[in-house]
Amino acid sequence: MNRKNFLTSVLGLGALGPICIDKSKSAAQATPAPPHAQSEPGTSAQNQPLLIPPYLKSGDGIGITCPAGDITVKEIQPAVQLIESWGFKTIAGSTVGKKDFIYGGTDAERLADFQSMLDNPDIKAILCARGGYGSVHLVDQLDFSSLLKYPKWIIGFSDITVLLCHIHANLHIASIHSKMCNSFPDDWSKAEPVQVASILSLRQALSGNEKMQYTATPHPRNRPGAAEGQLVGGNLKTIETLAGTRSDIDTAGKILFVEDTGEYLYSIDRMFWHLQRTGKLDRLSGLIVGGFKVKPDDPGEEFGRTVYDIVTERVGPFGYPVCFDFPVGHQKENYAFKYGVPHTLVVGDQVNLTETTKPILT
Amino acid sequence: MILRPPYLRPGDAIAIVCPAGYLPLERAQACIDTLELWGYRVRIGPTLGGDSDNYFSGGDEARLADLQRALDDPAVNAILCGRGGYGLSRIIDRIDFTRFRQRPKWVIGYSDITLLHSHIEANYHIATLHAPMAAAFNEGGAGGVNVRSLRQALEGEDLNYTSAPHAFNRPGQVSAPLTGGNLALLAHLAGTASAASTAGKVLFLEDVGEYLYNIDRMLLQLKRSGSLDRLAGLIAGSFIELKDTMRPFGATVEEIIRDAIKDYDYPVCFGFPVGHGVQNVALRTGVPHRLSITDEGVSLQSI
Repeated sequence: MNRKNFLTSVLGLGALGPICIDKSKSAAQATPAPPHAQSEPGTSAQNQPLLIPPYLKSGDGIGITCPAGDITVKEIQPAVQLIESWGFKTIAGSTVGKKDFIYGGTDAERLADFQSMLDNPDIKAILCARGGYGSVHLVDQLDFSSLLKYPKWIIGFSDITVLLCHIHANLHIASIHSKMCNSFPDDWSKAEPVQVASILSLRQALSGNEKMQYTATPHPRNRPGAAEGQLVGGNLKTIETLAGTRSDIDTAGKILFVEDTGEYLYSIDRMFWHLQRTGKLDRLSGLIVGGFKVKPDDPGEEFGRTVYDIVTERVGPFGYPVCFDFPVGHQKENYAFKYGVPHTLVVGDQVNLTETTKPILT
Repeated sequence: MILRPPYLRPGDAIAIVCPAGYLPLERAQACIDTLELWGYRVRIGPTLGGDSDNYFSGGDEARLADLQRALDDPAVNAILCGRGGYGLSRIIDRIDFTRFRQRPKWVIGYSDITLLHSHIEANYHIATLHAPMAAAFNEGGAGGVNVRSLRQALEGEDLNYTSAPHAFNRPGQVSAPLTGGNLALLAHLAGTASAASTAGKVLFLEDVGEYLYNIDRMLLQLKRSGSLDRLAGLIAGSFIELKDTMRPFGATVEEIIRDAIKDYDYPVCFGFPVGHGVQNVALRTGVPHRLSITDEGVSLQSI
């Protein structure tokens, strides 16, 4: 998606024509489900009505915390300044500036900071400062009861996929898959247009004034079609490491998006097989393949397949639409997605992803 | 109860197949020669040293067919996987185990072959051999401890292994079936039909070439999927060639393992000779063993 398209979509609703959902696609997927484990304890909430946290109003507070990797106070300043220029207040948590090896503080410190932001009624959204690794250390110890009572937006991606999946699976509260503080440019004037547009899409997602709309460049390996469903997914490796746990997501009837970075092709292949073997590919409504930064094969270990080949092979038996190189992932162009919220995906001469819930006007 | 395939006798046939990565025939020659010297007939499947030009020992169909033939052939008494690598995930759900269940035979290997062991244990309750593969016979390995233990395991001898004390060991004595293998594979199997239950068993783990943070993440996946809480015991094998992130993770692999199981009180030992390191003894998965961990050291005996 280029900036021009993005801004068009920000400015006007109804840029797309009417979208026909081809119901026959789902009927065509009557392939037997692969054997997989009994549904996990977390999956039951995924059938409950979706809770959408209140959209943010001018003056609302956004907490910044580090459930995973560390960040300095200085490093969050570009995000703080920009978010405050949008009319929101920012509240830097106690983990900002803390460092315990790779983490933004010890497990106890990160847990306490995140918990206090969940419980603080003045904080309407929690922006994770960066990914890295560490959210899985907190997830089972967090008390989400106040989030359930007073939903708020949890924002992040990469390692934060743990929290987005867990919240979707157990609480069915919408969240935001988005760039984080470490991706905000020091010098806004020198930032690439797609980076600017990606960050502005977070503002749009938080404000809720308009439906989210995305356009992507068609890829020759795309599989055309139309789909409707909740938008779920995230970092592929992280999704794999949640399998078998209570944070694992059910993808049936949903639009799944995946992205990853730094993985070998054989590992990406294994992860797509894992999606299949855990029953996450056969009943999808649609598949969005975001950015994949591939680690080059070791000499003599040439895998001989691209990411396009790997995905095409895995989704072969199913009929749903598939698109590649969608602007989501570890890259400058990484738009904010409302996680768990219903969207329509149309893959054709154009690729359009559109939020389907009615906009909440404030 | 676990079903043990018949132990091997001279004159029996061992098939060598490569269901995952490519292995040139010459890398298996010492293995073939040694098995023949022991009195076995060796059958070489087309996936060993085949005409593959990529990572795999052959296409999915070729690897599946070769393994399937070895599983089905009543004249084959054991299947030795030539090497691991990656590839079983792609064919596991298409393997037909009907004849194998009727006539169980030892399936031998480790690393990627963990998938086969776990799948067979979970679904068919048949013992397998987590053991060295063809390359272990090279460079004088044929006369070494690892290969000798493979022969003992195959021929039904009692197995009795020891290892040195480790500061993090937790003492105790248990008798329980063994299960386990490569940590990355066990994590990869979580949530699938190939994941074996670990409850009441002694779990052994090993890995190679992983980032420390990823070892931590995989152990937490096992923990969070209920695979660490009801163990009879834990055996940490070798974890070699580990990588660290630019910012150091701040814990050794032993500390990571110790911390992942700190909520439980079963016996634990570290540095057991199983894995991708120099020492990799044969273990009969699914079969009961007696694990004894004291201040003096560790012993693991087949029962």
